[in-house]
Amino acid sequence: MVDYIIPALFLLLFAFAAFRKIPVYDKFVEGAKGAANVCISAFPYLAATLIMVQLFRLSGAAAAAARFLAPGLEFIGIPRELSELILLRPFTGSGSTALVNDIMSKYGADSYVERCAAVVAGSSDTVFYVASIYFGGTKVKRLKYAIPVALLVTVFSSALSCWLCKVM
Amino acid sequence: MILSLSLLLIAGPEKALGGMLAASNEAVTLSLTLLAVYAVWLGILSIVEHTGLSNALSRLLKPVIRFLFGKNIAPETEKYISVNMSANLLGMGGAATPMGIKAIRSMDDGKGAATDAMIMLFVLNASGISLIPTTLIGLRGAAGSKAPADIILPTLIAVIASAVFGTLVVKGIQRLGKRRKKWKMDG
Repeated sequence: MVDYIIPALFLLLFAFAAFRKIPVYDKFVEGAKGAANVCISAFPYLAATLIMVQLFRLSGAAAAAARFLAPGLEFIGIPRELSELILLRPFTGSGSTALVNDIMSKYGADSYVERCAAVVAGSSDTVFYVASIYFGGTKVKRLKYAIPVALLVTVFSSALSCWLCKVM
Repeated sequence: MILSLSLLLIAGPEKALGGMLAASNEAVTLSLTLLAVYAVWLGILSIVEHTGLSNALSRLLKPVIRFLFGKNIAPETEKYISVNMSANLLGMGGAATPMGIKAIRSMDDGKGAATDAMIMLFVLNASGISLIPTTLIGLRGAAGSKAPADIILPTLIAVIASAVFGTLVVKGIQRLGKRRKKWKMDG
């Protein structure tokens, strides 16, 4: 059912545009031209972030940092099995999905840990990735409190997610 | 980066260059996927723009935008923000991101510091707004979950709560900043 929504909306849009005598094909192409611009300017920042994440994980620093953070996270209600996920979630979306998959096979689907992992991953976002593509092509060099607040929100939503899984 | 590289040097240097190249490859693949996604969405959004729908949308959302982002928003930026927020609410992250990027770029005054409005938009987008986590539901089903879709409700609650929380924190910091400036000026 949900599958119908987006194609239906598009169809309505095209019909409305045709009604208003807007050349759909031309305007589509005009818009799509901007896509390459956005992606090319975002790429170097994306590459840098992903390289940092990979080195962080490969060197074992990620696992060590996760072990270090686990007690603090447990204090606010996040199971320690999720500490590596929480640590890496702001850095990599595909990495997070892979981690959630690992947790699913390790602890079984429908377990408390697994449900928490899914909700945590689903309710937060890749902070550094968003930061790099949002601010990447601009002259902005000082982000001030942007990233700390975004990270705080991530921790908040993770703790809340785990609590919700406990009571729901 | 320096820490990881040095650790890796001690632990397994042969993995370092390979790891960096693998990550860079991932960035290329990701960027190509994004290129495809954005081509579709920016094309659609261009049509939306030319039918005047985004103007109507930003007029509808004006009060919300004023409250969240302050009064000094240019009409063009307002349009980008409205589409970004609507796309997020409708669960169309692929449409939201390029619009968010355009919004930030249109707010760039060249001074080199992120403005309060930029930060608000960034925090709202980076807090993970999405309505139905379809990928995760799919993964759960594949892993053998008996009720994969029951994470929808907690995820929804968590998303809304964190958006509200993020807004409050950003607004709080902005107010503190203004008060500090006032103290400094009053001597």
